[in-house]
Amino acid sequence: MLEGLVSPENLSLSSMDMNVLERLKWLQQQQQQQVVSQSSDNSPELLQILQFHESNNDELLQSTFSHFQMLGSCFGPSPNMGFGPSHEAMDGCISRTSSFQMVPVDTMGVMLKNSEENRTISSKNKRKSEVKRREEEKTEKKIKVEAETESNMKGKSSMSNNTEASSDTSKETSKGASEIQKLDYIHVRSRRGQATDRHSLAERARREKISKKMKYLQDIVPGCKKVTGQAGMLDEIINYVQSLQTQVEFLSMKLAVLDSELELAVEDLYVKQDQTVIIQKLLIIFFLFCYEFQLQAYFTNLPVVNASKPSIMVDVPLFPLDQQGSLDLSVINLSQTTSTEAPSASWETQSRSLFNTSSLGFHY
Amino acid sequence: MVDSLFPSIETTVDDASPESRRKRRRISETAKETAESSEINQESLKRWRTNRVQQIYASKLVEALRRVRQRSNDGGKITSAAREIRDTADRVLAASARGTTRWSRAVLATRVRASLKKHKKAKLTGARKPRKDTAAERKRSKLPAVERKLKILGRLVPGCRKVTVPNLLDEATDYIAALEMQVRAMESLAELLAAAAPRSMLTRP
Repeated sequence: MLEGLVSPENLSLSSMDMNVLERLKWLQQQQQQQVVSQSSDNSPELLQILQFHESNNDELLQSTFSHFQMLGSCFGPSPNMGFGPSHEAMDGCISRTSSFQMVPVDTMGVMLKNSEENRTISSKNKRKSEVKRREEEKTEKKIKVEAETESNMKGKSSMSNNTEASSDTSKETSKGASEIQKLDYIHVRSRRGQATDRHSLAERARREKISKKMKYLQDIVPGCKKVTGQAGMLDEIINYVQSLQTQVEFLSMKLAVLDSELELAVEDLYVKQDQTVIIQKLLIIFFLFCYEFQLQAYFTNLPVVNASKPSIMVDVPLFPLDQQGSLDLSVINLSQTTSTEAPSASWETQSRSLFNTSSLGFHY
Repeated sequence: MVDSLFPSIETTVDDASPESRRKRRRISETAKETAESSEINQESLKRWRTNRVQQIYASKLVEALRRVRQRSNDGGKITSAAREIRDTADRVLAASARGTTRWSRAVLATRVRASLKKHKKAKLTGARKPRKDTAAERKRSKLPAVERKLKILGRLVPGCRKVTVPNLLDEATDYIAALEMQVRAMESLAELLAAAAPRSMLTRP
């Protein structure tokens, strides 16, 4: 009957609240350990909460403690959460005591409130939240801390695992998981009560920002994904920027050459009086004046063409110069051929056909 | 008359481009959106890849080059003309950034300062003592390797020498995207001119 009273409550609780329940159990277990073995506890917050419990639920806890003593022998070890036999005993103890009904209402209400607040805080991106409460401590520390192996720590880390499982959808845990995969994973051993150190929090936030930005650079710079470590990535980025600047210089020189050729051609126009030549020069001039328009039309094809390819391939047609590394004019032809897709090929053939017809003395 | 010469090219290009452009832009945009996006980087990546920006840049570049051609007139061989073209292209690129990024403002500002400092710089370079790169110096400065590389990157991006690390990375992202666009524009322009010019060279008797 007692179980019937308690179990619907248990069933109605979602998986998140079950962890609150387990946290509560762990708390009580801690309390018992403190009472029984007088082990020292590290955090002041736990003491506060324990005092809170003791002040409010003194009798209840005493009764639960007595029950535990009675039923402790009945339960074997369970693989559950690694709490050990005592946890299972507490579990059974809690489910069987009638007095426990009142406890969850109070403390679990408190726990729920804390966890909710925790989740809202954790859903924000900023890490500089106030770390007064134990739950907040927990979720933030999950991201910072690896699993410690001390017995106290084990309980705490498994607790934080519970909280992580509970707030699975929160951004913070996803960020934590992604952070672990980051290149510069730094082990921070921060125990309970030390996470209020704003310096470490700020440092962690700053490092996260920087690593996020490095990730964007990694996406945009080709060949950066193979290299691990910030130094290698920065090397690649520097090389890439230098190569881009060299390309710009080379292209400007090429444009200068072409411009001078065109100027000579225009000058030729005034020198020679030959009809066909004049028509050709006129065509060039028209071409020059119109290439602004055509350039746009042609140019719109290029990004279209290049954007259609998957990300890796985008780089190949764009930067054959980069890979070839030579300033030969043959490279330019290569770039023309590599970047030929259907529209640009048709464009070139049409332009060539134009000039062919002009050379044949095309009159209009 | 001109239109009659180039209508076929026009129409084929137009037919091919809008739908394919829309499709490709959608694909490229979704590809970009799948990555985790913070405002700055995503926006900078998209900004330099839109067709509108590229068209603006291309037209401005052509105008500026035309003006450069009129001014220089092949005075001091090709290298000086090349340098002018490069500076013009950089300036146009910075102008199309609309002053939102640090490097663009620095590029536009150096033009004013360069003309003033041209005379002073020639004297200063002689007076500075060149530092010999000793092994001890190298060992000393090698410890913060990442920081050294960040400094080099700051020197490469114009106007970003004394900039904080996250800002430097942002500026570098935008600068790389802009440079890519510039390279593409100049390549296509050179291709057009190359298609135009050699024919005239060949047919000249």
